Amino acid sequence: MSTPTVQVPYLNISDPSFAMQSEELRAAREQSWYARTNYGIAVLRYDEVSKLLKSPKLSQGSAKWPAHNGVHGGLFYDWWTKNLLVLEGEDHHRIRRLLNPAFSPRLIKDLVPRFQALANELIDAFIDKGECEFIRDFAEPYATRVLTILLGIPESEWPTIARLASTVGLALGVTFKQDLDKVDAAVAELYEYAEGLIKDRQANPGEDFVSRLVLANRDGDRLSDEELRNALVLLIFGGMDTTRNQLGLAMQSFMHNPEQWELLAERPDLGGKAVEEVMRINPTVTWVTREAVEDFTYQDLFVEKGTTVHLFTQSSGTDPKAFPNPEMDLLGEHAPHYGFGGGVHHCLGHFVARADMSEALPLLASRIANPHLTGGDEWLPDSGNTGPIRLPIGFTKRS
Amino acid sequence: MKTIDVDRTLCDNHGQCAIAAPDVFRMNADGELEYEATFDDALLDVVEEAIDVCPVQAIFLKD
Ligand code: HEM
Ligand code: HEM
Ligand code: SF4
Repeated sequence: MSTPTVQVPYLNISDPSFAMQSEELRAAREQSWYARTNYGIAVLRYDEVSKLLKSPKLSQGSAKWPAHNGVHGGLFYDWWTKNLLVLEGEDHHRIRRLLNPAFSPRLIKDLVPRFQALANELIDAFIDKGECEFIRDFAEPYATRVLTILLGIPESEWPTIARLASTVGLALGVTFKQDLDKVDAAVAELYEYAEGLIKDRQANPGEDFVSRLVLANRDGDRLSDEELRNALVLLIFGGMDTTRNQLGLAMQSFMHNPEQWELLAERPDLGGKAVEEVMRINPTVTWVTREAVEDFTYQDLFVEKGTTVHLFTQSSGTDPKAFPNPEMDLLGEHAPHYGFGGGVHHCLGHFVARADMSEALPLLASRIANPHLTGGDEWLPDSGNTGPIRLPIGFTKRS
Repeated sequence: MKTIDVDRTLCDNHGQCAIAAPDVFRMNADGELEYEATFDDALLDVVEEAIDVCPVQAIFLKD
């Protein structure tokens, strides 16, 4: 054969030592826009990720996750296979249309003073010690209590909600099959919570978020009680660990870029830019999974129907072809990142996540100086969703 | 009558507007946005929903 072939790199993405921010990945991205992996292909560069993320030739790749793990029934299975994330076409769009208005940025703005009060309350509890475990003392309670504020659940119940959501999260891990009974029991408990909320708001509708969902109506079409319950469980599941992990990663990025932390302390109006920059260079969702719905050719690559396609977020967000100066820069003008995914499955909760994190980060920066690791940090693997599990830090209290 | 203006330098072809207001916005076979600048008054509510939902807030109404 005389056709010139570009060497296509290979990445073992389920190896626990696989690292996104590594020389191996940068070299692969330099060599080619995609890599082969032990599980489908991985798209590494910005333009290609941007294009394929929204391609009508790809659909959500996560629908078959339980089946891949030998799970074909049970509460988790039923919930997973009917939730917004995995539905496609009109089934997906109908639910998304009914949920969207409650997530309007105009309504989310009203919650900002509560996000600020919450952040300050959490900081107050550790600031005099000069150290904290950032995940336990800030990221986790903040992420979880924001969700309880949004859903109108008493904030005192956040530890229960956090525990249930983490248990359901085991379903996305490698030990899913062994954990199935626990996962199903947690789904059952979350269902009870959600059903209680729905009944309550149906009886006493107000101006709150869940009431809006209960009353949501489009051309006479409404969410059934079951659809609404499934959606509430998805919001709890999809909104908590992601926000916790992303806040932990934000702290890591700022500890690497102390001058940016100082800038944020002086300029709290850069909170929104801080969120965008952190999610571009250090996103918790390290890839989004898609599946080819038909055979197609993209650039030099023939993609067979059924092929799994991973769209790499951190790799695309630091691609030198799109970001000649990829370093974190709160004053820079950078193209949008894909840390919230993109296309029809673009994160539904992004206005909430952006609003809460863009309050939390400048408040932290304005109250603590020189945050640094003190040892004992523990991390999730880089595949799928990453972030610190424990992040002990020391700092100086600003006066 | 109000007309729609999508800022193409911001629009990232997420297609959320086409989900919210399919009679006004659609995504073509290449996954790119096509839309009508003018629309029937009865569609104002769904057009406003599309404006709200656009992840990059690229849609504007002009008088
Ligand atoms: C809201 C919507 C989300 C959906 C639907 C979703 C879907 C998925 C699916 C289906 C996989 C399977 C993986 C694969 O094909 O390799 C996956 C990977 C994963 N997702 Fe998400 N994800 C979502 C957001 C989340 C959230 C919120 C979390 C957790 C907090 C999460 C955690 C994970 C984890 C841990 C993996 C495992 C990656 C691995 O194989 O190591 N995802 N995600
Ligand atoms: C920093 C925090 C967050 C990150 C990084 C994040 C990330 C993502 C990503 C990457 C997806 C797309 C998954 C895919 O296409 O496979 C997604 C979908 C989704 N997220 Fe988020 N998310 C965050 C916070 C939230 C919050 C706070 C909520 C709810 C209140 C939420 C609800 C959802 C839902 C419902 C979907 C599915 C949308 C659909 O399939 O149409 N997320 N999220
Ligand atoms: S929702 Fe916004 S970004 Fe997406 S296609 Fe419509 S205008 Fe463009």
